[in-house]
Amino acid sequence: MTFVRVYITGMGLISPVAQGVSETRISLKTGKKGFRPISLFPVSQENPPPVGEISGSFEPVGIPRTHQLALVAAREAMADSGDVPDAVVMGVTTGGLATTEKLLKRGDKSPELYKYHATGSVAEYLAREFKCPGTVITVSTACSSGGAAINVALEMLRAGKAKKVLVGGADCLCRLTYYGFNSLQLLDPLGARPFDMKRRGMTVAEGAAMLVLEGHEEFPDNAIAEILGAGLSCDAHHPASPDPEGTGALDAMRAAIKNAGISKSDIDYINLHGTGTIDNDFSEARALNRLFPDNKPLLSSVKGAFGHSLAAAGAIEAVLSAMCISDNLVPGTIGCDIPDPELHLNPVRKPIEADIQTVLSNSFGFGGNNASLVIGRPGNERAQLSSKGPSPLFVAGSACITGAGDTDKTFTRILKGLSCKGTLTEKELSQDLPGRTVRRLKRLPRMALSLAIASHNNSGPSDMPSSIFLGTGWGSLSETYDFLTRLYETEEQFASPTDFIGSVHNAPAAQVAMWFKSTGPNITTTGGDYSFEQALMAASLLEKDPDETILVVGADQAHETLSGLLDRSVLIDNGLSDGGGALCLKRSKTPSGLRVSPSFFENADNNPSVIPSLIKNLGGPERINDKYGLVLSGIPGAYGERGNRQLDQFLSGSGFKAPVIDYRKFTGQFASASAVAAVLAIRLAQGGEIPKEFCGKESIDLHGKGVLIIGLGNFVTAVEVLR
Amino acid sequence: MLQQKSMGKLIDELRVKIIDTLNLEDVMPDDMGEDDQLVGGKLGLDSIDVLELVIMIEKDYSIKIDNRELGAKVFANLGALAGYIQENSPEASH
Repeated sequence: MTFVRVYITGMGLISPVAQGVSETRISLKTGKKGFRPISLFPVSQENPPPVGEISGSFEPVGIPRTHQLALVAAREAMADSGDVPDAVVMGVTTGGLATTEKLLKRGDKSPELYKYHATGSVAEYLAREFKCPGTVITVSTACSSGGAAINVALEMLRAGKAKKVLVGGADCLCRLTYYGFNSLQLLDPLGARPFDMKRRGMTVAEGAAMLVLEGHEEFPDNAIAEILGAGLSCDAHHPASPDPEGTGALDAMRAAIKNAGISKSDIDYINLHGTGTIDNDFSEARALNRLFPDNKPLLSSVKGAFGHSLAAAGAIEAVLSAMCISDNLVPGTIGCDIPDPELHLNPVRKPIEADIQTVLSNSFGFGGNNASLVIGRPGNERAQLSSKGPSPLFVAGSACITGAGDTDKTFTRILKGLSCKGTLTEKELSQDLPGRTVRRLKRLPRMALSLAIASHNNSGPSDMPSSIFLGTGWGSLSETYDFLTRLYETEEQFASPTDFIGSVHNAPAAQVAMWFKSTGPNITTTGGDYSFEQALMAASLLEKDPDETILVVGADQAHETLSGLLDRSVLIDNGLSDGGGALCLKRSKTPSGLRVSPSFFENADNNPSVIPSLIKNLGGPERINDKYGLVLSGIPGAYGERGNRQLDQFLSGSGFKAPVIDYRKFTGQFASASAVAAVLAIRLAQGGEIPKEFCGKESIDLHGKGVLIIGLGNFVTAVEVLR
Repeated sequence: MLQQKSMGKLIDELRVKIIDTLNLEDVMPDDMGEDDQLVGGKLGLDSIDVLELVIMIEKDYSIKIDNRELGAKVFANLGALAGYIQENSPEASH
């Protein structure tokens, strides 16, 4: 049995404090603070709170700032790394939004200008720059994104899905986050003072950090530190406020310690999330006092110096944690002069030297999304972890929504060969949901919640889901648009806290978790047209329990103004479409019914042999013809030519004889249409027959064969639905 | 007497504004008693709703409530909110 250990072999970062590992080391030792008044955009307040803004402008021109910062960090991380990475995983919450904000303010309506809007575009950009031919995943779980991304990368490496992953987090300052946190009264007018008696809030910041992670059985010479383990949890408590008991934070820390195969007494230092808000610091302190009732390890928060760079924070702090180990250094909690006596914590206030072998690093975010990492000195002896990997996923229930309506209405039309394009009204989307639950929810969270509940209902007497995975190409467009529109209409005077909280990409998954009280991993992936496939992949990697029930949802909303600007695929249809699908899945070691597997995910760029690779990965032509009675192909409108070429190549290379159906002809163009296709595949495989109106010929008996869903275009993906 | 009458009018106005701002579709203005607890009470309001109301009050009555401690006092109940608006309204100070 092999035992793959995961090492950090390269790292880079940029923050308001310093650029690069060397400069950052000096700043940590001197306790340098990176706060100043904002200059990236004009602000309306008389005494605006300081921010963690990075000075200077970056290359290349014409690329959003988040992408530029990520590139700076990635170049440093990859500097001594010869080979290309086989995967890129990013934590991002705002992507190119800072650029979109300027364009919307100016009234620019050319879709070409918005092509770097998506949170997923940062990872795709890095994949292009570093010629990564493999899987590209974007995790968008608000302020825990960076930590959660590293967790996904860790499990990819452990499972042998990659040998070398470029992973990290990036976010630049933008109006949405600045005015959003301001509307929540969460910005400290004097700058963040984590755990201090007089703390008033956080300091919103920007930055990026990237790490090169490699899986090895033998300890490599160039290892800087080892990622020993990671843990995720969800508060399932409130869309924005942490659980005051700190239960979710405690669960994440415990899960990380267990995953690392260490005991809590092995931890020498804890890098706290410690944003400086009254609630976060209270809740985190509560969790720590519960985990360590007696002697606590050394602990500190760097956010009084670095500010809170949202999705970048978890990655930046992973790099700092590795530096703590290599330099035997503990950063000070800058801004904490008199620790709040109510918190019963004694954070390290000034930087000190100490022997640090093992670090626990916390990142917590909106939606109660929590991620903890355990990082250790490389080369230390450790017990071999059981490497059995997560259990396979079997179908318990499924549901979809399209312009035609719910699952039944959709299938009534699709199976007759009729289109399901279009959009439902907001009321129709949430007709079965209580008014109190949805009063603050706009289009996407209503859709996600309805889908999740319907798929769980369809599963019969299934357990409550413990973990939630949700893929969305564009997130909550209504909330983002409404937030910015109101901000601009009132000349930056008024911003809606409700829209801000709703605008984060993981808000819909947080609503689902709150509904089902799902306290396990809660991951939102945002990879454009391949978001649902990314969510399935994350679900296949991140296991809470070997026999748990989970939900995997894919959903996207149409938006009158933004859809056409952001998603060029929608322009080929007359009118907008939206919807999604949800799968209620059960992990099981023993086969039980239909199994869903995300089998393939490669970048079509830098990868001329992507289709032969797909065929090979699916087991070659013989297995493909033997296993699948139907292929559902997804070719996003914007990549029609490329996708059709890829499909032809697949068909000639595999000699596939059974029907191939382009599902977007039925669903219309929206990023997570593949989630509807997954539900369709499941229902057809369950029924065992493909009606003639749907496949265009005589009706076909599947004879126990499965359905293959392939995604084409800039990426090539395969999801198998097999008995 | 005059002040009491305008206070009642203000409270009625606030009832409608709160329902409208917070999308409380199933609540009737009369359901909201003057002394009923606003946050954590039967209306099911939380800290985010309070912040949304902070903006409504600033927009419609030009009164800033920019910290949480003050917010907790002002939004204790309808009566407290109306009282605070009357005391601090820029128009009232003339």
